[in-house]
Formats: sequence, C-alpha cells, structure tokens
Amino acid sequence: MPLLDAVGHYSVRQAEYLGALAIQLWRCLRFTIRAHPFGRRRLRWKRVVGQMAEIGVHSLPVLCLVSGATGLIMALQGGAELRKFGAMDAVINLVGTSMTRELGPLIAAIVVIGRSGSAMSAEVATMAVTEELDALRAMALDPVDFVLVPKYLAMLVMLPCLTVMAVFSGILAGGVFTYYSLDLTLIQYFLRTGDILLMRDIISGLVKAGIFATVIVHVSCLEGFLVRGGPVSVGRATTNAVVKSIFLVVLADLISTAFFYFYWR
Amino acid sequence: MAMKFSPRELLAKHQREPIIEVSGLKACYGDTVVLDGVDLNIRRGETMVILGGSGSGKSTLLRHIEGLERPAGGSVRICGIDLAKATYQQLFALRRMMGVSFQSAAMFNSMTVGENVALPLLEHTDLAESTINLMTRMKLQQVGLSGVEDLYPMQLSGGMRKRASLARALAMDPEILLFDEPSAGLDPVIAAGLDELILRLKSAFRITIIVVTHALSSAFRIADRMCMLYEGKMLAVGTVDEIRSHPHPRIHQFINRIPSQPEASSHHYITGF
Repeated sequence: MPLLDAVGHYSVRQAEYLGALAIQLWRCLRFTIRAHPFGRRRLRWKRVVGQMAEIGVHSLPVLCLVSGATGLIMALQGGAELRKFGAMDAVINLVGTSMTRELGPLIAAIVVIGRSGSAMSAEVATMAVTEELDALRAMALDPVDFVLVPKYLAMLVMLPCLTVMAVFSGILAGGVFTYYSLDLTLIQYFLRTGDILLMRDIISGLVKAGIFATVIVHVSCLEGFLVRGGPVSVGRATTNAVVKSIFLVVLADLISTAFFYFYWR
Repeated sequence: MAMKFSPRELLAKHQREPIIEVSGLKACYGDTVVLDGVDLNIRRGETMVILGGSGSGKSTLLRHIEGLERPAGGSVRICGIDLAKATYQQLFALRRMMGVSFQSAAMFNSMTVGENVALPLLEHTDLAESTINLMTRMKLQQVGLSGVEDLYPMQLSGGMRKRASLARALAMDPEILLFDEPSAGLDPVIAAGLDELILRLKSAFRITIIVVTHALSSAFRIADRMCMLYEGKMLAVGTVDEIRSHPHPRIHQFINRIPSQPEASSHHYITGF
C-alpha cells in the first residue's frame, strides 16, 4: 500500500513538526519570563533593541506603501459597486472595519515574513551550518534563550506597532478616495471612521498581530534550527520558513477570526 | 529541579578518577555506524591526544564528550554524571567548566572578536564591564592575538580565528579543555606556539586537555597519553612510548606515515588494459 504508506509518513512528519514547534514555544516562553532587563542578562536587551530596529523601523516605509495601496484599492473597488446602490458612504465602513480587523494585521505579517522572517531563518540556519549553535551549547548557553528570545520579544512588540501603522495608512488612503468622491474633509472622514469602529475591532486586530508574531518567529527560527548539512540547506530553510509562515499565519487568522465571530460579538 | 549546580562543587565532590569515562559508546549518523563500542578513561589533569585518520570518528567522539550528541549506545560520564541522563542544570553546569575549540573555529560572525571572547564571561559571571574587557584582552594576548578585539571574525585569517576560538574557550578558565584539530590550517611556527600554550596551561593550571589531531609531531609533544581510533573502534590507549612501539599494524602505519597501498604509477594504468 504505497499510498497509505506515504500518507502515514507525511502525517507523522507533520505531527512531529507541530510537536517541535510546541516544545520550542514552551521553552521560549520560560526563558522570556526570565529575561527581564534588571538581571544580569544585559546583552539580551541590546539584542532586543537591535532586532526591534531591524524588524520595525526598517520595514515601515514598504509596509505603509503596501497598506496604503491596499486601502485605496479597497475604496476604489468598493466604491465602484456601492455607487450602484447610492451607498457611497459605506466605503468608510468597508475600509475602516476591514483594515482594522483583517487587512492591517495580515499585510503587516506578510511584509514582516518577507523581510524579517526570511532573514531570521537564514541567520539561524547559517549559525547551524557553521557550528555556531553548537558553540553556544558548548558554552552552556541555550540557543533558544540566546538566539530566539531576543527575536521573539522584538517581534512581539513591533508587529502590533506595525499593524497600527498599517491600519492607519490604509484608512488614510481610503480618506484620499472619499475626499475626492464624497467631498468629505479628512477630519470628517476620520471622525466618521471613529464612530464606526468598535473597541472590539481594534483589540481583535492587535490580538491577531500578537498571534502572528508568535507564528512568524517560531516557524522561521525552527526551520533554521532544524538545518543539517551545507549551504544548500540554508536556502531551503529560508524558502520553507516563508511558505510555512504564510500558510500558518493565514490559518491562525482564520481560526482567530472564527473565534471572534462566535464568541465576541 | 530547584537546586543550583555550581561546576566547582561538582568537581569538588568528584575527586575520584577518572574525570571522563566513555564506555561502550556507539554513535550512528543514519545507518552509518561512526563509533562502535568505544571505551576511554581520561584522568584529571592529563593531556589525552586522540589520534585517527580522517573519518575515523574522532570529532564525533569529541562531540559526545561535549554532550552535543546523544549516544546510540553506551555512555559518557563526566564527574560521574551520565550526560544522556543528566538534568538540564547538570548538563549546563558541566559545560560551564569545559572549554571547547571547534574545528571550524565557530566564532559568532555577528559579533567582534572581543565580544566573542567576552560572551561567556558576560553571560555566566557578574563581573564588571571593565574587568571583562581586561580579561578579554588578556586571553587574546595569551594566544598571541593583541589588538584584534574590534575586528569581526571574517576579517581574520583562518589561523587567527582558530586562536581566537581558543581564547574564547579559555575565557571561563575551564577545568576541561577540548580541542578539535588545533593545528589544522596553521603554519608550523604558530602551530608550535599553540603546543607551547597547551603545555603552559597544563603545567600552570593542571587542567584536563583533550586534543583531537592527526598532526603527529604536535601530538607526541603535548600528550601524556594517547589513543588511536580506527573505523569507529578504539585500537589502543597508552602512554606516548607505548603507542610509539605498539605492534598493531594500523598504528604502526599511522605513526610511521606509510601509505596504505603501493602508489599507482602510470605504468599500471598503461599495462592494465
């Protein structure tokens, strides 16, 4: 039964992968709690700040462009349909809610996967290939503690921040559309958006960003940690990290959206 | 486990010889058996040289002593603690008293040489920054590298990286020093300098040194005892003189650098057809 065999092997491999992710997450959380800035782990905080700049500040321009363009596209596409019903006003609802709840976190996550997730997995994979991870272990330093925790902390802070910026620039771009087609000033537009948005929308967007941050860092670093062999495997790890992160981010998005839909109306 | 392990306490408790016991160690990579029932006892304060040809499993043995690999069979005990059964704290306490210099140097490329050497001190001690800087410079000076603190590992030559990694291994004043191929890729003068350094460390601090090498001249110079690995098996363990006059044909061949087959001449190829 070669088909059954293949299915079985595949399932076992995927289950193993999820198990590895879970173990890594658990160990990372334990180290994260201990990594407060007042202890002797001074170096960690330097690394966290460095990572924050790398993940956050440097990806801000491209993120704002992508998110702004998406906001404008949403407004144009929505406007074209809504005009038929004489409900152009609803463009404000459309852009505001979809950006805050859904597109802001998702666009931020995908931009960060492309910029930082791939870089992280390449970095960790290179460390594995050049025996740097072994050197860490031999020095009684845990690679999860030393390599992953700073990245995780930085991502956990920066991705929600980036999400806020993405949401803002998306909504701003929608405002440009309404300025010309609805004769609303930007201030009026923002006031109406503020009326439409609920606290629930904003919180659910930020919670999603936190979940995505966890998924991105852990998948990217795990791909790096699992590397054995030469430089070819570094490239493969990077590809895998990006593909798996995008898939798992979308899956996590679906699950959390369903959760908010059913349990928090 | 809530109890804190201090490496020195572990060592003080374990006065009994030997400090490292490898018994019946088996290791596999996939289906290939790399080590097949290796036994080796290393006494405290001695310098043990592990000899062996390429692919004989020397580096794998070293990786098992460092606790980086799980044995497929047998055990490695350091200070009486079985590495495969050790708790996380025990394992890390043991590693804190070991200094390892890797074959590929394994310097952290994202940090300067100085930061590399200072890293274990920063992480494991509460020393002030100025003290750590001083110690870093001292350790680098010890291996003949002064003034390279602010360079990145990639800016150094292979030999300098190797010595920098030794400085990093020495940073915590280890009780056990593991050294993978110290003289590979070094010129004879620097290699001789490293031998001197190892001899000095041995006489001054009575640390246990394990060196994996196939450089015979340096092996004979620094070793108290030697052992020879061949195809994953331990052929012989003994003092330098015992190994030198060992009757086993493989050891004789290795020590006297005799090629394993008569060299093929072009004549063979021509008449072979």
